[in-house]
Amino acid sequence: MANIAAQRIKREFKEVIKSEEVAKCAIKVELVNDSYTELKGEIAGPPDTPYEGGTFVLEIKVPETYPFNPPKVRFMTKIWHPNISSVTGAICLDILKDQWAAAMTLRTVLLSLQALLSAAEPDDPQDAVVAKQYRENLEMFQITARHWTNVYAGGPHVNSDCDDKIRRLVDMGIEEHQARAALSSYNWDLERATEQLFS
Amino acid sequence: MEEIMTTSQGCESDMDCSDNECYEDYYNINDDSDIEQVDPRKVDPEYFEFKCLYEEEVDRLLNETVETLSNILHIPPSLAKVLLHGHQWNIEEVTRKYHDNPSNTLITSKIEPVTTHSNIIMGRYMCCPVCVMPHPVDKFHSLTCGHLFCRDCWTMHFEVQINQGISTGIACMARECDVLAPEDFVLRHLTRPNMREKYQQFSFQDHVKSHPELRFCPGPNCSIVVHGREIKAKRAICTQCKTTFCFKCGCDYHAPTDCQVIKKWLTKCADDSETANYISAHTKDCPKCHICIEKNGGCNHMQCYNCKHDFCWMCLGDWKSHGSEYYECSRYRENPNIAHESVHAQAREALKKYLHYYERWENHSKSLKLEEQTLGKLRSRINQKVMSGLGTWIDWQYLFTAANLLAKCRYTLQYTYPYAYYMDAGPRKELFEYQQAQLEAEIENLSWKIERAETTDRGDLENQMDIAEKRRTTLLKDFLDV
Repeated sequence: MANIAAQRIKREFKEVIKSEEVAKCAIKVELVNDSYTELKGEIAGPPDTPYEGGTFVLEIKVPETYPFNPPKVRFMTKIWHPNISSVTGAICLDILKDQWAAAMTLRTVLLSLQALLSAAEPDDPQDAVVAKQYRENLEMFQITARHWTNVYAGGPHVNSDCDDKIRRLVDMGIEEHQARAALSSYNWDLERATEQLFS
Repeated sequence: MEEIMTTSQGCESDMDCSDNECYEDYYNINDDSDIEQVDPRKVDPEYFEFKCLYEEEVDRLLNETVETLSNILHIPPSLAKVLLHGHQWNIEEVTRKYHDNPSNTLITSKIEPVTTHSNIIMGRYMCCPVCVMPHPVDKFHSLTCGHLFCRDCWTMHFEVQINQGISTGIACMARECDVLAPEDFVLRHLTRPNMREKYQQFSFQDHVKSHPELRFCPGPNCSIVVHGREIKAKRAICTQCKTTFCFKCGCDYHAPTDCQVIKKWLTKCADDSETANYISAHTKDCPKCHICIEKNGGCNHMQCYNCKHDFCWMCLGDWKSHGSEYYECSRYRENPNIAHESVHAQAREALKKYLHYYERWENHSKSLKLEEQTLGKLRSRINQKVMSGLGTWIDWQYLFTAANLLAKCRYTLQYTYPYAYYMDAGPRKELFEYQQAQLEAEIENLSWKIERAETTDRGDLENQMDIAEKRRTTLLKDFLDV
């Protein structure tokens, strides 16, 4: 790994650990290997959002040309958000692409991602299905996002209605996550989700 | 004496110079009185003034513009270049904007920041925010925004960006700062010769692409840049690789159809080609004796080798009805009752309409290719004639001229079909299709005559060439609107 990249990551790692956000348990980074090429990030779901109370794990890959190129970041925790793929966890955020600046740090990236969870940009979607729901049925979106946060990120809000519908599909032999994804995509309409799964 | 020699182009070496001067004058007077000076802009609808430039010439042209602006505004050339690049090389616009509001112009052109960053420097060393290493203060540089970074980080930043193909758009490394790095700043930090070369190559491409009067020749591996005086969908021909293209969009020349319509048409054809291919097979049966016929020439006037029946390849109708002044084959007749029919029938009608135009478009494209092969056959036929004493090679050259003209006419005819397809029904369309039919008829006549030319008597053929070309220019004059 290039010298500058390693130096920078070492320094940034310390910066995050010492930062006040860590003290508030809002963000966290951990090393995955000794070479500083891969890190594990964590952000807390921001308050007053469907993600509140959840912890979201991020995969951070540091390229050879860091910090002249942005780190490659992806959500490991499944999340229901217009700018994040519900399938792969890929993120659509300008600072991770063309708006990256060499003077930015891991801390700024994590804080920006947290800000993205607070304020989605449905006009620049990564997941078209989620973005459509966000625009057309905000309440349904919030129910779904909160349910996903509960199931995958340890959020506190259990939604028994969602759980029941998923169980009915699981009883028909559908895998749990597949059932959840189908129901989420069809505004929790059991009939249409079933139709799609068996078509 | 030497002066005169150089101005009288290509004078015979043995001639006496005074004689030469006399001839010159004699011819000059003649030229002036005999040939009426006509403005080609008015006569030729396809007239287009352009120059093919080599890279050095383009560089010179761009640098002259940069220098002019730099002198007018009293700013360094590198900044003038950024301004011009951001304003499509329009000196007047930049000058006007700059005189109206200099600081705003510099900010919107990303030459200066909205607010300048101030640095508090203490001691002889400071830490670079990018590499987090301490360096002596004099190793730090900044753009107009004042964000200081060490020399090595600037170099790395530029190299990474250049390797991604970015050159004129490289911004400052600070967060949310979009001040652009001007050429001289970048070059000062690039030490490796190959990186400097890459940078200059990429920024040259960016500059040409941002200049509306310049266009790269789309020919493969051709480095020529065409400089057009006006930005119109006109025909440009590269002097180097002979590629013919539309100056405005850089695609194949497409008169009389305009850039948007041809794009729409080509996309449509690409989408629907499977159906169309399936429907328009490569062979047809003779309408009289029903023998299977494969087209082997470009001409649509077919003569069955079996029963000698003359018919039109496109509509399979009797050729005699085509020979008259009203050539009907190119016109699509819409079903007048279509509004009352079912959706299904309308869809079928829409497909039928599309196929009508597509088949003709495709057919002329194929004819063009076949006529290229005809050229080869022509060559061997002429060889035979010359060998058997029927005229000299030079006597037969007119056939090649005719074949070239035929290709030109057929090319335009091919591109009239997308135009007609997207035209609204009405008298203008009727006029267009009438002229199209006329052109088509004359082209088929010409093609027939070229394929069967047996003598060096060229009068008839030259007459036919003249008619075809006249029909082509008439159509373009009336409908080429760029």
